[in-house]
Amino acid sequence: MISYESVTKIYGKGNNTVTALDNVSFTIPKGEVVVFLGPSGCGKTTTLRLTNRLETLTRGVITIEDQNIMDIDVVQLRQRLGYVIQAIGLFPNKTIAENIAVVPRLLHWDEERISKRIDELLQMTNLDPDLYRDRYPAELSGGQQQRVGVARGLAADPNILLMDEPFGAIDPINREEIQDEFLKLQAKLKKTVAFVSHDIHEAIKMGDRIAIFDKGRLVQYDTPEIILTQPKNKFVSDFVGADRALKVLGLMRVSDIINRKPKNIIQGADRCQEALHFLNTKESRYGIVIEDNRPIGFVTQKSLKYEDGPVRDVVEPYPIFLREKTPLRDVLSSMLMYSTPTFCVVDGDKNFAGTVTYNDIQKAVKASYADETENVEIEVSS
Amino acid sequence: MSTLRFIMDNFNEVLYLSWEHVWIVGIALLIATPIGVVLGIVITRHEQFASRVLNGANILMTIPSLALFGLMLPFLAIFDMGLGKVPAVIALVLYSQLPIIRNTYTAIKNVPSSLVDAGRGMGMSKWKLLRELEIPLATPVIIAGLRTAAVMNIGVAAIATYIGAGGLGVYIQQGIARVYPEMILSGAILVSLLAIIVDGGMALLERVATPEGIRVQRKLSR
Repeated sequence: MISYESVTKIYGKGNNTVTALDNVSFTIPKGEVVVFLGPSGCGKTTTLRLTNRLETLTRGVITIEDQNIMDIDVVQLRQRLGYVIQAIGLFPNKTIAENIAVVPRLLHWDEERISKRIDELLQMTNLDPDLYRDRYPAELSGGQQQRVGVARGLAADPNILLMDEPFGAIDPINREEIQDEFLKLQAKLKKTVAFVSHDIHEAIKMGDRIAIFDKGRLVQYDTPEIILTQPKNKFVSDFVGADRALKVLGLMRVSDIINRKPKNIIQGADRCQEALHFLNTKESRYGIVIEDNRPIGFVTQKSLKYEDGPVRDVVEPYPIFLREKTPLRDVLSSMLMYSTPTFCVVDGDKNFAGTVTYNDIQKAVKASYADETENVEIEVSS
Repeated sequence: MSTLRFIMDNFNEVLYLSWEHVWIVGIALLIATPIGVVLGIVITRHEQFASRVLNGANILMTIPSLALFGLMLPFLAIFDMGLGKVPAVIALVLYSQLPIIRNTYTAIKNVPSSLVDAGRGMGMSKWKLLRELEIPLATPVIIAGLRTAAVMNIGVAAIATYIGAGGLGVYIQQGIARVYPEMILSGAILVSLLAIIVDGGMALLERVATPEGIRVQRKLSR
């Protein structure tokens, strides 16, 4: 846990002062990733650097695990907090193994323990120890260097990790990959992470909570869902972007809105005219056709009208099936692509699990914005 | 040809004078290096002294060597050391300061601040950072400074013969006094040869002292 109480940082003296951080208070709960988000100069990096005392507090109190950081010896404090910065932070004169070993050596671990830990960390970050241990940073790609950076931050198994735009210098494809890897790692390790970013996508993806900074003030501190659906003011809604409805959909999954008992289910063996009558009574324009508990496709009233055989003969197959964990953004994209307003959700054995319709998605988005205040304008930038 | 004959005929003396020359320059460098490197590092930590120290070293360089010998004479005479090798070595130590201090200062300053930050952020002490990061990265440039100082000092040491320091300058000085061209030429050629050899040797040292990771980096970025 890290807590910030009335943290203020003022640079300069006398009349020539700049307030970099103004009375910021919030708490990072144990085991959560909190992303410090904002434009450059907003105070997010300063907050991080105050935490390991690379900058000195002007006023306020920062505590880690209920200990005031000013009461801890500065070198010990830093050794307790894992620190990861952009790829350029690796020492070029040291091998990968030596880079990872920096903090364990400072802590006087014995060589055998260090060596074991290096292998463990390299495996954890998907780098083959035999291949990479004795290489130099210059021989690695940007993505690989950053993996080593993460491994180095985790070396002494700190409870708290400070990350300063750790994936900022990597190309987008590798960044996605390394973000996913880090999330997987974090799910296992449950570190308390302070993560600086200027990228809203990264913040939504990585953060359990997001702290949005502007001009040295903490503007909003909430979960990504709430930041997206209930931005506190114009600055936040602008920063989040006009496409925040789509971003919300990126956070929601099929399981959040699935209709497990749709009314318009037809068995494949039913006769077409019976099915037509059934759909009429249910006031539904189309039906989902199921055989052996597996969805085989759909029929419309129009396609049934002049047919007489079993429904399975006129059924139109679905182009794709959804899974419960599919993000709604992908579902919407598929709906637009195939111009199909309903999709079926299946489980691992391809058994029918429910349906998702375009209307369901719209309703879900509306619901998530329900408490939004009227006065927030969403500007559509050209 | 006659110059070569002169060298062959006086081979033992040539060897002795060369050795004496190398000895003066070598001792001077051995004394100058720790002083210069330490001063160079100290002024990176205390910026307010940096320009003063560098200016001081610069001024020392502008004093002609003969004038410097003359200036030191009355002071060293108190200890009965106004002439001979002692003033020569002192002068060389003073002249060496500018290239050594300047290169050390620049090299340490040029270590990327992101690396220093990363090290500090991980809890490395200033001393640890210096030893494990800053000095290794700065070493090639520091040695380049030593190389400049060494080559320059070989030239200055030839003049130190006028205060009785010995070395290859003896041939030049006596050759001029006796109007003996072969002798002058021998001295001049041997001094130049020495400078070239030392320069080559220092270049080699510079390469060897470059950390392997940096060599790899240079090779790959080429």
